[in-house]
Amino acid sequence: MTFGRAPRERLQGAQLDRALPYFLLAPAVLVVLAVLVYPFVDGIQASTQFYRFGRPIKSVGLENYTDLWSDPQFRNALWVTVKFVTLAVALETVLGLALALFCARELRGIRFVRTTLIVPMVITPVVVGIVFRLIYATDAGMLTTVSEKLGGEPVQILSNPTKAFLGLVLLDVWEWTPLMFLILLAGIQSLPVEPSEAARVDGAGSWRTFLDHTLPMLRPVLAVAIVLRTIDAFGTFDQVFVLTRGGPGEATRLVSLYGYDTAFKFQQVGYAAAMFVTVGLIILAFALAAVRMLRRVETA
Amino acid sequence: MTARVARWTGIVLILAVVLIPIYWMVASSVKSNKEITQDNTLVPHSPTLQNYSNLFAEKDFGAYLTNSIVVTSVSVFVSLVLGSLGAYAIARFRLVFRLERRLGLALLTMRIVPAVVILIPVYLLILELDLLDTWLGLIVIYTAINVTFVVWMMESFFREIPVDLEEAAMVDGDTRLSAFRRIVVPLAAPGLVATAIFAIIVTYNEFLFALVITATPDSMTMPRGTATLIGRIDTDWASMSAAGVLGALPIVIFALFVQRHLVRGLTLGAVK
Repeated sequence: MTFGRAPRERLQGAQLDRALPYFLLAPAVLVVLAVLVYPFVDGIQASTQFYRFGRPIKSVGLENYTDLWSDPQFRNALWVTVKFVTLAVALETVLGLALALFCARELRGIRFVRTTLIVPMVITPVVVGIVFRLIYATDAGMLTTVSEKLGGEPVQILSNPTKAFLGLVLLDVWEWTPLMFLILLAGIQSLPVEPSEAARVDGAGSWRTFLDHTLPMLRPVLAVAIVLRTIDAFGTFDQVFVLTRGGPGEATRLVSLYGYDTAFKFQQVGYAAAMFVTVGLIILAFALAAVRMLRRVETA
Repeated sequence: MTARVARWTGIVLILAVVLIPIYWMVASSVKSNKEITQDNTLVPHSPTLQNYSNLFAEKDFGAYLTNSIVVTSVSVFVSLVLGSLGAYAIARFRLVFRLERRLGLALLTMRIVPAVVILIPVYLLILELDLLDTWLGLIVIYTAINVTFVVWMMESFFREIPVDLEEAAMVDGDTRLSAFRRIVVPLAAPGLVATAIFAIIVTYNEFLFALVITATPDSMTMPRGTATLIGRIDTDWASMSAAGVLGALPIVIFALFVQRHLVRGLTLGAVK
């Protein structure tokens, strides 16, 4: 990334048309401004309105925001989301790292593993929801079938708040551990081998070598992977929409789902907009941090 | 010897965890509803493609598939063109306010933030434009989302191409744009392919906007159409499984076909 400056100056000095780059940029920027940025600003405006039947009927100032803080359902949704994201990302990180370490040393058979691991990531998320409903369902599910084959009872997962929540976490782990694995595998393979080898020669065990050498060197990559995954998990919607619709009760109702229901089921458009602006700003803070980290990894 | 056993155990375990859930959906998709809910078979006893043909004959899966293909290909194509031009501008020129350094990062930030946070205003925008339940409504949204990503990815691919090649072409009489077309685009082709692949997968799989924007088989995409089968109480498991297989199949086959190019996109350029 360091060669950029000098040649660019040469071009700038030598060549025509100062306006050309702006013409090249204009269409892309306009589309983004019109379809993504304008709506975000518009959403802030909508969040100060009271809606009925999909139309704004009066301005309520910041009332939607103050209501949010006293809304136990919003607080619950936020809490469920934070629990979900923390648990899922933690499991994915540990599993992904373990897998990457396991595969980094071996080459035979790994190509096949890599190919297989791509499948969960690219499968349509709605279909991932279906896959897991077909596993958990009491009447049709794989777990019930296996349990009855072994002489047990049908399983009850999606009707039990704790189990449904853990079931959702497991879905996310199945779908996204491969991404952690791929990022970390690339990270491990790009590390210099000398420090770890020197440590081993000095008699350090493989666990010590990992803690003292591999892990610190891997930290920037690990940080990027965790932050990206955290942000993405915060927006989880499709899978939970299919798997539980937020139930039983509110046990799996993530913020995204509560916001959707508020706007499109309960028709509280302004209130839902306030919710998404709040959540959006939180996520934006994370995203800005993520972008800085990505840049650091890229230039390293 | 033990190391070898451990390794193969590990590999088999990984494959089992990934593939058994998928096997179960595929197996369910060729069973009847009676077999699914009452017979508890692990392997389908009389496999049938009836569920699949029903999706086309009795539901509108032909239309969903058409809608998905049209919306995905148009929006990915348009965003590749717009995004590449924009990316070239920030990769090669110095702009006011140091935009060439800030714009890519701003777009990347937008790409990272989950789209659900702009769900409501985007819905209101499409409502205002009178584009609800149309291809165009979806295409507009998907193009914008993809452009953010295309600019970010293509910028780094363009930067990897030495400037000297264009300069040489321009000394030989090419204009800036013909040099771009003749020299830069062919050299950036692998980057374009990688970017397109990722955009195609994300766009084909998109559900949230399709859920609120589309309402009839005129514009419903595959994921959206699949979701119409998911009842809350009486679930038609057989159709749902078949729809799941059918919905995921095109994109999984496509992804496996092009997996070499996939990793960079999935990791937003962090892994090359």
